[in-house]
Amino acid sequence: MLGLLLKKQLTEVFRSYFYDAKKNKMRSKPAIALWIVFFVVIMVGVLGGMFTVLSLSLCGSLVMADMGWLYFVLMGGIAILLGAFGSVFNTYAGLYLAKDNDLLLSLPIPVGTIMAARLLNVFLLGAMYSLPVLIPALAVYWIVAGVTVSRVVCGVLLLLIITVIVLLLSCVLGWAVAKISLRLKNKSFLTVLAALLFIAAYYFFYFKANDLIRDLLLNASVYGEKIKGAAYGLYLFGRIGEGDWTAAAIYAAATAALSALVWFLMSRSFVRIATSSGNTEKQRYVEKAVKLRSPFSALLAKEFGRFTSSANYMLNCGLGVLLIPALGVLLLLKGREICLVLGEVFAARPGTVAVLLCTMLCMLVSMNDMAVPSVSLEGKSLWIPQSLPVKAKTVLRAKLSVQLILTLLPMLFAVLCASFVSGETLAVRLLLVLMPLTFALFWSLLGLFVGIRMPLLNWTDETAPIKQSGAILIIIFGAWGVAAALAGLYLLIGYRLGATAYLAIWTALSAVGSLLLLRWIDSKGAEAFEAL
Amino acid sequence: MLNIEHLTKRYGDKKAVDDLSLRIRPGEIFGFIGHNGAGKSTTLKSAVGILQFDAGTITIGGKDLLAEPVACKKALAYIPDNPDLYEFMSGIKYLNFIADIFGIPAAERQEKIRKYADLFELTGDLAQPISAYSHGMKQKLAVISAWLHDPKLIVMDEPFVGLDPKASHLLKEMMREHCDKGGAIFFSTHVLEVAEKLCDKVAIIKQGRLIKVGTMEEVKGDDSLEEVFLELEAE
Repeated sequence: MLGLLLKKQLTEVFRSYFYDAKKNKMRSKPAIALWIVFFVVIMVGVLGGMFTVLSLSLCGSLVMADMGWLYFVLMGGIAILLGAFGSVFNTYAGLYLAKDNDLLLSLPIPVGTIMAARLLNVFLLGAMYSLPVLIPALAVYWIVAGVTVSRVVCGVLLLLIITVIVLLLSCVLGWAVAKISLRLKNKSFLTVLAALLFIAAYYFFYFKANDLIRDLLLNASVYGEKIKGAAYGLYLFGRIGEGDWTAAAIYAAATAALSALVWFLMSRSFVRIATSSGNTEKQRYVEKAVKLRSPFSALLAKEFGRFTSSANYMLNCGLGVLLIPALGVLLLLKGREICLVLGEVFAARPGTVAVLLCTMLCMLVSMNDMAVPSVSLEGKSLWIPQSLPVKAKTVLRAKLSVQLILTLLPMLFAVLCASFVSGETLAVRLLLVLMPLTFALFWSLLGLFVGIRMPLLNWTDETAPIKQSGAILIIIFGAWGVAAALAGLYLLIGYRLGATAYLAIWTALSAVGSLLLLRWIDSKGAEAFEAL
Repeated sequence: MLNIEHLTKRYGDKKAVDDLSLRIRPGEIFGFIGHNGAGKSTTLKSAVGILQFDAGTITIGGKDLLAEPVACKKALAYIPDNPDLYEFMSGIKYLNFIADIFGIPAAERQEKIRKYADLFELTGDLAQPISAYSHGMKQKLAVISAWLHDPKLIVMDEPFVGLDPKASHLLKEMMREHCDKGGAIFFSTHVLEVAEKLCDKVAIIKQGRLIKVGTMEEVKGDDSLEEVFLELEAE
């Protein structure tokens, strides 16, 4: 039964990899293989690559100082943070808000089995984020320190312990969010606020990471002794990776005990939370004056309503609303110094600073993806826009407009800041404004295009279209790839053209691409939407 | 009002609706009868422009649905068998959204919302999010939204499922009143008693093919349909 439920959930998550919604049939085997390869490349190539580099920079020095345990404390800590960061916001939705909770609870399936299936899903999601840190960390350690039976067995055990810790953290936080949500109004915004504080802390440490690592490597023995003295548990945790059987046994027992406790606490409230309507008190209806809006305005308001009603949607697809202007502020404060340093580093390639500024801005465009799942999020309500007297292209343009408003306005501020601090010629400054803006327009249109081509309408948990669909992966990591190509191509050959011509070409390409995509959305895209 | 000619809709190799023709005139309550999977919902969805069909023509008020979809949809309202509404909206926000789409002036919409919400005893719940509504409340909200813009044609898929007896009675009265004013109603049901008491005309569909159209008396008088009625009564 558990296997059956888990299969159902995973089929939903990875449905777009196996099933072509447009053609209403299973994908061909080569197409499925391509999708899986794409997924593996993203997770192993991009995330795994990043953490392999980090492992290589830390492992050698710490192992030489006989402090391999500190290496595992650091890498394990990062894996726990990343795993919890990646899955915590979905735990509440996945556990308690799944639309098929009522159906499953009405079937002769033990509640524990339903909970276990949901938790296994959370476990796999957390593992998906923590394993790209842990696997390279272990591999690098085994290469540097050498392979022994105890190191391999305890290393694998450490990997299991960490993924279970991520699951426990996600469950506890998801449970806390659920309890708070039952009592609060405006819970979406409060959840977003709490999450933003979490993210702010995450980025604070992320930006400080280089300094911290440098400091740590220089004073490894001092910190090591301090940790051993003040937090012996952490020392033991690190010792597992080094092949310490006692430490492994203690942590395995503690993790098992904690898991049992969390299971006990959650199973006591699961049915009550999962079946609660979540209302604090009934809101009294008071008739208010209304104004007649145009169909487009009504659709736009509806799309904004959809976006702001879900903390999950806002956090996973709208972080750029804050991060893009934050980059603008950062540029105003530190931009000139950054530009001077970059100018010196890339003195042989004039114009690189402007291109790198554009690259940063383009990369941040990927943080706003609200147009991508907007078609899928219609779900079973799709009959409403399809039966109303509005053209499909108006519906799609409303979806697009939300992203354009929430991306282009912050981007305008950021590009003006970048242009101001760049110290470049007038033409380059102008392109510093135009290029990221046209790219943001192009990427928003591309997001909607992919959303229409790869719809996921039969979801039971909104996390599936918002976070786990192939469409979202393509748009987020695609933007990173294109931004990297923008910088890489300039450093390789583009500098010969000069920044003005190079950025003008990218601006023109983005503009032409935007026009083509807009034309497609208005015609073929609208037809595809009508045919869903 | 609604003219369906030679409608055919396939799902893969299977014909869900096969060469179906129907004509619904102003003032008619037209019942569409058939057992589960007979092709009722597919026909209704095709008639309101939600489902693309393989062959045939559908006109609403003389306008071709494929050529002028927006004009056709302005003249109709649709209530699906399962009222999956926008759960993130409150009831009143949903009604205002529908009113905006149909361009209903503020004063007129407020008067209608007041009237129908009071009739269905939903006024006190209009500020609540739709996610907190029961199935019946969602159905009532869908009915109110359908009646907001005085559509010429109302298409409903099993409209009485989920409604309490009082609301069902009210809906039947509203349907009669709507047709007495010159509107038309096309609805599906598999409850013979509802069709018998309410409809001016009925059509019976079986395995995608229309097997009989006429008044309830004409249809019931056809001995060859005895088996069909037995099947429906068994459901």
